[in-house]
Amino acid sequence: MVDVTNAVMTVEMIQASQAGLKAVGAGLAVGLTGIGTGIAEMSIGAAAVGATAENRDLFGLSLIFTVIPETIVIFGLVVAMLLLFS
Amino acid sequence: MLAPEQMSRLLIAGTKEQMGPVIGELYRHRLFHIEDFVGQEEYAGFRLGMPLDGATEASVDLLNIRAAETAFGIASDGVPAARRISAAELRRQLETELPAIDAQADELVSRRTRLETRLRDLEARIAELEPFTAVPIPMEHYRGYNTLAVFAGHVPADVAIEAPHERAFSGDKKGGFLAVFTPLSHRDEVERQLQDAGFSPVQIPDETGTAVDAIGRYSAERTSITTEMEGIERQLEGLREIHASFLLAADELLTAEVEQAEAPLRFAVTDQAFVAEGWVPTVDVSSIASSLERVTDGRVHVEELPIDFEHDAVPTEFQNPSFAHPAEMFMDVYSRPNYREIDPTLLVSIVFPVFFGLIVGDVGYGAVLLAIAFIGRRYLRTEGWKLFLDNLRNASISSIFFGLLFGEIFGFALPWRPVIFSRHLNIGGEAHGHGPDAASLLIVSVWIGILYITLGRIISLINHSRMDHGSHRTKAMLAQTGWIAFMWGLLIVIWSMFPIPWMIDLTTIGNTVPLIGLRPFGVVGVVMIIYGLVAIALENPFEIVEAPTVISHVLSFARLVAVGLSSVAIAMVVNFIALGMMIEPGLENLTPVGIVLIVAGIVVLLLGHTLNTALAVLGGGLHSIRLHYVEFFTKFYKGGGRKYNPFGMKRLYTSEE
Repeated sequence: MVDVTNAVMTVEMIQASQAGLKAVGAGLAVGLTGIGTGIAEMSIGAAAVGATAENRDLFGLSLIFTVIPETIVIFGLVVAMLLLFS
Repeated sequence: MLAPEQMSRLLIAGTKEQMGPVIGELYRHRLFHIEDFVGQEEYAGFRLGMPLDGATEASVDLLNIRAAETAFGIASDGVPAARRISAAELRRQLETELPAIDAQADELVSRRTRLETRLRDLEARIAELEPFTAVPIPMEHYRGYNTLAVFAGHVPADVAIEAPHERAFSGDKKGGFLAVFTPLSHRDEVERQLQDAGFSPVQIPDETGTAVDAIGRYSAERTSITTEMEGIERQLEGLREIHASFLLAADELLTAEVEQAEAPLRFAVTDQAFVAEGWVPTVDVSSIASSLERVTDGRVHVEELPIDFEHDAVPTEFQNPSFAHPAEMFMDVYSRPNYREIDPTLLVSIVFPVFFGLIVGDVGYGAVLLAIAFIGRRYLRTEGWKLFLDNLRNASISSIFFGLLFGEIFGFALPWRPVIFSRHLNIGGEAHGHGPDAASLLIVSVWIGILYITLGRIISLINHSRMDHGSHRTKAMLAQTGWIAFMWGLLIVIWSMFPIPWMIDLTTIGNTVPLIGLRPFGVVGVVMIIYGLVAIALENPFEIVEAPTVISHVLSFARLVAVGLSSVAIAMVVNFIALGMMIEPGLENLTPVGIVLIVAGIVVLLLGHTLNTALAVLGGGLHSIRLHYVEFFTKFYKGGGRKYNPFGMKRLYTSEE
């Protein structure tokens, strides 16, 4: 058994674990917002494919509709970048 | 610029004798957008016109030509012919050649249909015979009995039948084919036992000889029919080569004739006269009027009518400098501009490539896309592809430009320091410097958002001042100033509280005002926010719930950096993996494993960059256009304009008479 009570945290260890938590936070920001975007795009995408199948001209418009929820993951990406680079 | 082509409403009236020449002249000019006669009030006593003489004959010929085109598989690709056929020459050919071509097409097509029917028949017979190949009994032995009942079909396993019978079984444990011959007196009994065993009967085909022989006969016939059909296809192919240009030209000529002959169906007529109403670009009014008078010797009345914007839906035609034409594609995907509003095509044509360049920002990818755009232009020559590829060309030139500024080529650094901001990531610990200027870039993108959205609101202000009336106009214009005040007020409050790099620092000016707890500029900002909310609420109180979109729409512009950085990251990761595979174990000591690794590295490099180029087009293109559609257009753009569709035809294969 390792004696936990006597373990000493050095400054380097604290810095490293802080950096690690930042990276975890950045990953969560992108990952969770990605899931959110995916859920939102799921139904839009299905409807868009249906509309395009009925009328080929709607392809452009339905593509645009499909990427609208992409904003969510972009915000996640922005938060991740702010965490990592600033 | 920033406005659609100016239109005039024309009324053309004359006697019925002049109708033919007038229609011909209008068709030739291709400028007159016909307003259909639908029994408007002011036309009491008028009725719909009848088609001109010759409409029926032309329609019949056109039908024959279209039938032949279908038979030969000819379809127009929308590309102008190298040599146009003159109408007179074509008419001569129509009389002499069309019947022969039609007969040829008919004959070949009906032969093909006959063969297809026979082929289907043969396939069905072969399928019917297939089960009987397992049992070596000639087919004629299955029928023609007076005292015997015959069963033939599939069973899951061999069945033991408790009744006098003869049988033939072929199969294994999984099941097989069973033929049972039994006296008529035991028929029901046997049938029941078979059913209990899961017997599924097949039809006994009307054939002679063994099933194998019959199938052999039919297969031989099938082969010969397939060969014959291939011959017919080749013949049709040959005829397509020979007749394609003639048929397409004839189609065009007759379509033009039929369209002209049927134009009176859209006019108002009386027994002696006709009236046509429509829209013509204002610059062309005089030329149309004078040429109509010339063809009718002055026996036509052309008048410009006043436009009543409340009731008339004026058709919209783009009017842009030539470099902005490709962006019209984006406008039509969204909605054609309304005739009276500001047409933002010019803005889109400039800002879209800039956004695309900011996102992709790589010399290498820009060059690849530029090459695709130029090569594509050579092969894809329809109007839609042309616009798309021209947009791609503009966007990729902008990518190269921003790539030079960012100092990027395929994710590698160019040999100079980035001119504006660095987007180089520190992947694999190889890069130098301090990593990307992500925060600065984000603030720049937010600035772009603030300015672009403010521009949208200003355009909305102008639109409302042009298109609305009375108190609604004042309220709508006030609301637009309210939105601008709200956004900038919010900004000023933030600036007075926090110093932000690349933005205005108001935290040092003045001391905190007692009681309120804000600096002087903070107070100014709060006043602006309150004014904004009041102005917005005056137009429509429910709009207040939209207020948070000010923040989300501005922040949405951060995608210009976020998507761009993610594309840089992918490129650098691909380089890191591929170069790692190629250099470290590979080139250091050339073993067979090292060579395999080098090849794998090259594959990773090519695949990765191909994927990233595709992602760059998708990401860069979709996000740039989305910023326009969702964040910019929603501020001011109404759309819903009617497409200007002039009466006439863009001739591709025939020349004018």
